[in-house]
Amino acid sequence: MLVRTAVVIAALALSTSVAQAQPSGEITVMAYAGIFQDKYTEAVIKPFMQKFPQVKVNYFTAGNSAQMLGTLRTQRSSPQVDVAILDVSVSNVGNKEGVFSRLDPARVPSLRELHPMAIVPDGFGPAVTFDHWVLVYDAEKVKPAPTGLADLWDPRFKGQIGLSAMPNIQGIAATVLASKIAGEDHKTSIDGAMKRLKDLSPSIQTFDPQPDGYTLILGNTLTVASGWNARAQLYHDESKQRLGVVFPKEGSVFQINTINLVAGIKNPEAATAFIEYALGREAQKRFTEAMFYAPTNAKADISAAAMNRTAAAPENMAKMIPLDWGWVTTIRDSWNNRWRREVIAGR
Amino acid sequence: MADDRRSRVGLAAALSLPATAAISLGFLLPVLWLARMSFNPVDSSGALGQGWTAHQYVELATGPFYAELTLASLKMAVSATFFALLVGYPIALFLHRLESRWKTVLVLLAICPLLVSGVVRAYGWIVILGDAGWINSMLRGIGLIDRPVRLVNNHVGVTIGLTESLLPYMTLSLLAGLGRLDRGLEEAARTLGASPLRTFLRVTLPLSLPAVVLGSTLCLMLAISAFVTPRLLGGGRVFLLATEIYEQALVTLNWPLAAALAVAMLALFSLVLVISGRLQRRVAE
Repeated sequence: MLVRTAVVIAALALSTSVAQAQPSGEITVMAYAGIFQDKYTEAVIKPFMQKFPQVKVNYFTAGNSAQMLGTLRTQRSSPQVDVAILDVSVSNVGNKEGVFSRLDPARVPSLRELHPMAIVPDGFGPAVTFDHWVLVYDAEKVKPAPTGLADLWDPRFKGQIGLSAMPNIQGIAATVLASKIAGEDHKTSIDGAMKRLKDLSPSIQTFDPQPDGYTLILGNTLTVASGWNARAQLYHDESKQRLGVVFPKEGSVFQINTINLVAGIKNPEAATAFIEYALGREAQKRFTEAMFYAPTNAKADISAAAMNRTAAAPENMAKMIPLDWGWVTTIRDSWNNRWRREVIAGR
Repeated sequence: MADDRRSRVGLAAALSLPATAAISLGFLLPVLWLARMSFNPVDSSGALGQGWTAHQYVELATGPFYAELTLASLKMAVSATFFALLVGYPIALFLHRLESRWKTVLVLLAICPLLVSGVVRAYGWIVILGDAGWINSMLRGIGLIDRPVRLVNNHVGVTIGLTESLLPYMTLSLLAGLGRLDRGLEEAARTLGASPLRTFLRVTLPLSLPAVVLGSTLCLMLAISAFVTPRLLGGGRVFLLATEIYEQALVTLNWPLAAALAVAMLALFSLVLVISGRLQRRVAE
């Protein structure tokens, strides 16, 4: 009798662990549109579906990170999205609002392999990609190439600069870098940064490049602009190196995308399995090599060629300026107002 | 008799029920939802809370920035409407007087910009007005300037783009209003010895004023709520109510503030409508 019970319990335990190991059903992943969608589907979603043939993954797009959270807010009572990849400043808000749930570390063992900067407090969805602020320039017209933000004050760029201002998060990164140039700590003061950016203001063609700086440079409207590394690297390849990409000598700031488990979904097993896969070494390697986002899994074995074009290259990593995006949310309005008054309106 | 009237009222109510329901569902409910959203609290981390607070309205009333925004929106809308009137009036008058079989084609031509998306037209203006655009190239070619003049990515660009986008609406409203202009009155004035200018100022213009008020009201409303043109042609330098609502709703995620701004904009519209109604009555008298 006792033996029989033990066998039944063992069989039950085995069957649940098998069920855990083999998630099934359909899940929806929400992330950015365009080239991100193409590359992410190829590098992560398709291989995941090959590994877990019983899971079907749909890819859903809803605009920028804020729009994605907006979509999730409206679906609170019956979520249609299971996993969301969006900017950390926005996912922080979602974590506080209860839109996302905490991850179970036992089911996401890759969490232990993540870079310390990838970890989000309280066990919420961690970073899945690292990108960083770069300068992009027209390599055919601009010689010598700029080396950092400080070079933009050079009169040769007058009227040809596209610098994304706040509230765009590129503007936040630019403020932090300008503070560094001014020799101040952005956490205590950005006075020096504001003064310097105000001096630069007349040289700036647009504070809101539309559709983006890369396109405007290749379309001969600008010669230098701010951008994000991953997309800049893709445009660099697409334009046959005409679009130059510079890791600023002042250093740079991470843009972080987190991967989040939506609260109240029907199939958390499959969704968690997807998150574990996306954070794993294999997926991290493939996506970095496809799109030049730095891996957040420190153990991912990235090819040297791809690594050197991301922030994960050791010489770049040493120059990254730590920025707490949770803290940024609390000062964003005041920085935004100062940009408008002091930098853009020049008062 | 009373019964008859009652049944007619009942029939009218029954007939208008579908429209009333559609308007309530499609318009009133969302506006009420928006109004409710404007009273939700937001904490310092940006998280949307539950409950009631008038904080957003206090912010709007006391923050000098929002007064500036409202004023900037009004200024931009008035100037674009003025320029649209300046350009649209002669076009409408010409089309009104035209007696040719090409009239319909020309009217269609005047309003055909509406067939092209506002985004496409804005990009068109970027090409025309940009530093390397043909206006700057032309000015440089004839030696008037040696550095490009900034015609886009600032207020000038937005005014030009908005004026162009309002023009078809202005022309159409004027054309509709000019229908009541009797050609015989102008001819009578000329026969009695008035110069063409005097005829225009004393006869044509006063008679067309209701159309002018109508067209201007429509254009003012469209210009205040215009978002695509200021966003694409403003270069991040032009701050208006509509662009601020976009940023609060879709960039910084402060939905309550965006909703409060939208409610404020609705109030501004009502004000414009009241003023225009009064003007309309005065010019009709």
